[in-house]
Amino acid sequence: MSNRINQLQQLIKDTNNLHINSEWLAYTGVIEYFPEELIITIKAGTKINDIQIQLAKYNQTLPFFIKTADMSIGAAYAQGAQDLSDCVLGVKIIDGTGEYLNFGAQVMKNVAGYDVARLLVGSKGKLAIITQISFKVMPISYMTQLSAPIKRAITSQLHQQIEQKLKQVFDPRGIFN
Amino acid sequence: MEVIQQLLKQLKGIVLTGKENTRPFECDGLSVYRQKPLAVVLPENIAQIKQVLKICKDNNTPVVTRGAGTGLAGGAMPLENSVVLGLSKLNQVKSIDVENQLAVVEPGVKNIAISEAVRQHGLYYAPDPSSQIACTIGGNVAENSGGVHCLKYGLTVHNVEAIKMLTIDGDELILSRQDDGLGLLALMNGSEGLLDIITEVTVKLTPTPVLARVVMAGFDSVRDCANVVADIIKAGIIPAGLEMMDSFAIEAAEEFAKVGYPLDAKALLLCELDGTQTQVQAELDSVLEVLSGASTLKVSESEEERLNFWKGRKSAFPAVGRLSPDYYCMDGTIPRRHLADMLEKINELSKKYQLRVANVFHAGDGNLHPLILYDVNIEGELEKVEEFGTKILKLSVDMGGTITGEHGVGVEKLNAMCHQFNAKELAIFHKIKAVFDPKSLLNPGKAVPELHRCAELGAMHVHHGKLPHTKLERF
Repeated sequence: MSNRINQLQQLIKDTNNLHINSEWLAYTGVIEYFPEELIITIKAGTKINDIQIQLAKYNQTLPFFIKTADMSIGAAYAQGAQDLSDCVLGVKIIDGTGEYLNFGAQVMKNVAGYDVARLLVGSKGKLAIITQISFKVMPISYMTQLSAPIKRAITSQLHQQIEQKLKQVFDPRGIFN
Repeated sequence: MEVIQQLLKQLKGIVLTGKENTRPFECDGLSVYRQKPLAVVLPENIAQIKQVLKICKDNNTPVVTRGAGTGLAGGAMPLENSVVLGLSKLNQVKSIDVENQLAVVEPGVKNIAISEAVRQHGLYYAPDPSSQIACTIGGNVAENSGGVHCLKYGLTVHNVEAIKMLTIDGDELILSRQDDGLGLLALMNGSEGLLDIITEVTVKLTPTPVLARVVMAGFDSVRDCANVVADIIKAGIIPAGLEMMDSFAIEAAEEFAKVGYPLDAKALLLCELDGTQTQVQAELDSVLEVLSGASTLKVSESEEERLNFWKGRKSAFPAVGRLSPDYYCMDGTIPRRHLADMLEKINELSKKYQLRVANVFHAGDGNLHPLILYDVNIEGELEKVEEFGTKILKLSVDMGGTITGEHGVGVEKLNAMCHQFNAKELAIFHKIKAVFDPKSLLNPGKAVPELHRCAELGAMHVHHGKLPHTKLERF
């Protein structure tokens, strides 16, 4: 485990209030990339542009709508969109108690355990620190035109309550804001 | 019992009780585990489902939701003192939106029935688990079912636009891909009936490809065949299907289906390409170049021949079933680069345990289905198979993969879950369940092992080297 992960864990244990952003995260770079597997694993602070440059060497791409490539992959994940969620295979996170946890895997098909890797897409930094993400990538030649996702605010009270309770599962001390 | 009386009184004509009536529901596709429920209820509408939930909740009675019961991990196996909620009568395609390529269906609609209903519009529902003529869409969502075309067209989770679900309290929730929030829709996919009851599914439809052709290639070595799989992807091709079989599976399938598989091959690859005429031709040219080292090579020249090539692969399970009284089907998934190593390890274990193995798998996505042949009537053989199987699953996790690619955990892989997740991760799963089902009445005890189970297992593993399913009856 890298020093930065240890630092982040300690920081969470020591604080009562934390706002996560990618510059502060200071955790960047490609961890693994296997073009013949169509799988890339990236540290969450990495700029999308830097990822795309690596992928382009093998005529591959992140297969979701990218608003701006100047953003970190962790930020895109936290803001959430269904087409991004579709290609998430696994994540590592640090939860609100400082635990470093692994969900999903670096394979195309995986139904072991609840799909936490996709549940946290759209969590806006309020449930956990996402430290690394594995994605399915695609050859550029197979991509069709992608359009900006349509998003609707959640109005159901039950839905809102469930989201609130799920926050408590990952962040019982309520430190992420 | 009070709960049975209340069900019989309030839901006349849709409740089955007694040994004989509930026997057809005592297991799912994993028939080695059986348990009769208190009662089976077959509701015809949502109001009746809500009534069942209320009665069960009031009486603290577990509810096991069931589609067609084709699952392979015991996910729909009844629990002792449970009520089975069978949704097979909710089988209507409610609406089809051709322009937006969507269909709204009830949970008991069969997978294949969706494609049949939309065929006239040049559309189909892409995920195609082998049980697609029988399995239901509700069950598919609960298991996040796969199939042979996942690499290109995705799993169930990729092809569901929205669901309507009920909580254990009978409250309705609509989850959509457009929700600006957490990924609750994805969470429900593959939740194995532990979080919700799915009452309606909006599925995405896919335009039917103009043309599909299959390349069949035989190889003199398993390693060559496995390497070629990586080479095809490296060449920038995403086949619609990419399946591999070993020599034992080839023999069994050929004897059963007589489709002309090369019996002298050590491994067989089936590679399907689909799209427009031009796309298929371009892909075919690249694939044939990659496959130039194959010992035999054939391309389907007609739709009839294409289906024939698939017939052997699709009948591989029953074909193997003919050679042995029982077989145990595994579902581990590994990074593709480890395929050849994994197959060698499985061969070694096969020799060690003196149990034959036929390997059939979705090579494109690294999803293995080794079939271990055994005879349940031989004393100790089931335990031997389970130990063998657990070793394969442990290997899958060690290689960076997973214990289950598409069949689910159910009751079958609870022990293996202890290898894939640590206590803290499992605790998160239990807390997620409690958000939706605080009294743990929906399919309790399945999919996620209790922490003490993993602790005991660790201890037992050290002392005896055996991995028994401590709480399960054996037949």
